[in-house]
Amino acid sequence: MEFKVRAYRFNPETDEKPYYKEYTVEDYPGMTVLNALIKIKSELDGTLSFRRSCRSAICGSCAMKINGITKLACKTQVSLEIDKFGIINVEPLANMPVIRDLIVDQEVFFDKIKAIKPYLLGQREDAAHNIFKTLKEGEKISQPVYDKSEFKNLTGNEDTPNCILCECCYSECGGVVGNKDYLGPAALAKLYRYVEDPRDIDKNGSRLVNGSMPNGFWDCVHCQSCEQFCPKGISPVKSIVKLHEKSIKNSITFSSGSKHVVSIARSIGETGRLDEIKVAFESGGVTGLLNDLPVAFGAGLKGKIPPLRLKLIKDMEDIRLAYKELDLEDKL
Amino acid sequence: MLKHDVVIVGAGLAGLRAAVELRKKGIDVVIVSKVYPTRSHSGAAQGGVNAAFDENDSWESHFFDTVKGSDYLGDQDAIEILTSEAPGNILELQSMGVVFNRNDKGGIAQRPFGGQSFPRSCYYADAVGHMMLHGLFDNVLKYKTKILYEYFVTSLLTDNGKVSGVVAYDIKNGKFEGIAAKAVLFATGGYGQVYSSNTNALINTGDGMAISINAGVPLMDMEFVQFHPTTLKSTGILVTEGARGEGAYLLNSLGVRFMSKYAPKAMELAPRDVVARAEQTEINEGRGVDGAILLDIRHLGKERIMERLPQIMQLSIDFEGVNPIHEPIPIRPGAHYSMGGIKTDYNGRTAIEGYYSAGESACVSVHGANRLGGNSLLDTVVFGRRAGIDIAEYLKSAAEDRKFDESAIKRDEEKFEQLKKSAGKERHGLLKSELQEEMRANVGVFREENAMKKALDKIGELKERAKNIGIDDKSKTFNTDIVEAFEFSNILLIAEVITRGAILRKESRGAHYRTDFPERDDSNWLKHTLATLDGKGNIKFDFSEVAITKFKPQPRTY
Repeated sequence: MEFKVRAYRFNPETDEKPYYKEYTVEDYPGMTVLNALIKIKSELDGTLSFRRSCRSAICGSCAMKINGITKLACKTQVSLEIDKFGIINVEPLANMPVIRDLIVDQEVFFDKIKAIKPYLLGQREDAAHNIFKTLKEGEKISQPVYDKSEFKNLTGNEDTPNCILCECCYSECGGVVGNKDYLGPAALAKLYRYVEDPRDIDKNGSRLVNGSMPNGFWDCVHCQSCEQFCPKGISPVKSIVKLHEKSIKNSITFSSGSKHVVSIARSIGETGRLDEIKVAFESGGVTGLLNDLPVAFGAGLKGKIPPLRLKLIKDMEDIRLAYKELDLEDKL
Repeated sequence: MLKHDVVIVGAGLAGLRAAVELRKKGIDVVIVSKVYPTRSHSGAAQGGVNAAFDENDSWESHFFDTVKGSDYLGDQDAIEILTSEAPGNILELQSMGVVFNRNDKGGIAQRPFGGQSFPRSCYYADAVGHMMLHGLFDNVLKYKTKILYEYFVTSLLTDNGKVSGVVAYDIKNGKFEGIAAKAVLFATGGYGQVYSSNTNALINTGDGMAISINAGVPLMDMEFVQFHPTTLKSTGILVTEGARGEGAYLLNSLGVRFMSKYAPKAMELAPRDVVARAEQTEINEGRGVDGAILLDIRHLGKERIMERLPQIMQLSIDFEGVNPIHEPIPIRPGAHYSMGGIKTDYNGRTAIEGYYSAGESACVSVHGANRLGGNSLLDTVVFGRRAGIDIAEYLKSAAEDRKFDESAIKRDEEKFEQLKKSAGKERHGLLKSELQEEMRANVGVFREENAMKKALDKIGELKERAKNIGIDDKSKTFNTDIVEAFEFSNILLIAEVITRGAILRKESRGAHYRTDFPERDDSNWLKHTLATLDGKGNIKFDFSEVAITKFKPQPRTY
């Protein structure tokens, strides 16, 4: 069966703006989109440019938009795409500048990975005897002992160390769309990986403080795209939420995002209701309040004015019990 | 022109491990790689990395298993280093941030692997290469290492008998760059792309080996190519030996565990050469299933598969349309690993002063005629580390007594420009496919003189046709067309070295099996083959002794 591939083309040396070029390819059972692109390149048009390497969804080179959705070309079956869309549309990843055709500039993405300091900041003391040695005849080596549970968030098959840095999440990230300086899901998932590492002496220290700065994990817009589009089944947004939880548990609450969460918790805990004015003030201070004024004014015109005094709800006792259960009493 | 003390070419495990060793000492290093480091093919290694930790295991046992696995062609002094330094290396990696699964005692979990007499393969589910690659890359970032990524190295330069640097093509903008250095390490990986149906990445085109032989450095034991017994039938994608380590069965069309016939004791966990030949025999004798063998892990149960082999499950579903929880996986042997490579000693040194190699691109030789599963990752870190240490030592005394020949930059640039101008009609992508298919058919699992001579004729024909390669892409920005054309010239050269070496070696040893010479012949062939080019560019061979220190060659049965 023949099918069509419609490829985004752009060469900065010759093209003023991008265009699309169509190719007709012969299908075979099990053909992937990457196979199709390779066939085009070797048989029809050597100028079509894309990154590729392992063919088996582990190197992360061939992420691109296929029929509008960010995927790895190597693990996308042609037949499934054709059944759904009748064509294979390929375009470069979003949120990064295009260098040529399907190739984007990844420098900023990797700079953000570097920014979170993706390595152990130091060693826990009981691991310090890990000094290299060459064994003599009959000699054994003793190894540090870690309980399985210490690595429980790092050894599951959908845990963050399985990230291949393919940039699918980054391409689909709503947070990056709104703020190009936002670190993005992959870098923050990596941050979480090191926060969870039992060997790191920084446990719950500077990593959470730095990650709470502007462009850090409080800038996630919770659109869930990173989870939806991850080809390895990892959920960066879950890691981000855990970073939120850990920060608040460790009273790292200087960011407006964390103040917002704490303020909401307090408001519900005190009255069972959301005190919107107070939450706006406690999250952003006077400036925050002023920034929210146009919104509040618009809402007021529609008759949506939050009450200045909140009445306690009837079931306050249940809320107190729930807070006690969640160990949140100290946040009240 | 750039200038650094050390250039490391290749950013897989061996290159990164060496870089960390050098950067820890504050040495000026640049890593040059044709892909971003985390795209390197080390990341695709799945099953494990060997080291003797258990109180009932010993590194000496690992030493012997590796010598026997190599069919006695491995150099025993080097294998002793590999195995006695293995546990220390693994613990060092762990302290650098690499995560391994844990056993019930809180130590590193280990699984059985082929040809190993004890379960000693440390793992991170079925993605240990990925874990190690990313862990080491993180350390390279920690030590703020300069990385030139998407640079394709085209030449190795020497002067005064010493290495003087490399020439590299910046794929992003088409500019050639000279990088002068006192030490150069090639950690450029293997040549799986010589064969069709291989487990390798498309980038594994033997570039470092081809550049080396062109620069006068001998390639050793290149005829020894490992065919992995379990690669997905349709795509050649790797299915880890860890599957068999966890207890998988190999079945033929009669539903029989046929390994009982070929390796009654080790069964599915015999070394790869033995299993690959057994499978091919079953297929050739009509007991295959559509040209494949079945790998059955159903009896392990869903929970264990999800915990230990999650990647295998996903790859089988995505690439073969088979869910291994419910159905056996169709597999067949596929080209996997290059035992041969750039001849080095156990410190990574080559025939040229200041020039080093480590990892799959190198041949120390610790794998001899057949590598055991779980020993390649170990090789990368043990000898990557050692090369780093030796380079640091070398720099202390290395003098500035060599000039970087800047005309070489112009020369390589001219070569690229000439090729771009060519009006030839041959397409390198198609020539590559023809070569790969020829090599699979005639220089594969089973070899025989006449078939290999046919392959040699084909290589000759392709060399002629390669003179008429045309390049569609004339631009400078990310011109992968021209890079692939040069990669093709590299695999063509490597294919010829493999084939000539295989014709020359008139015996069967490890992965090199000659149907016309089915026995191992220690009296004539217990020696390494060394390939170099003569003045006219023809391949010629010398031999060198195998280091035998502790274990005299014995018949090899499993």
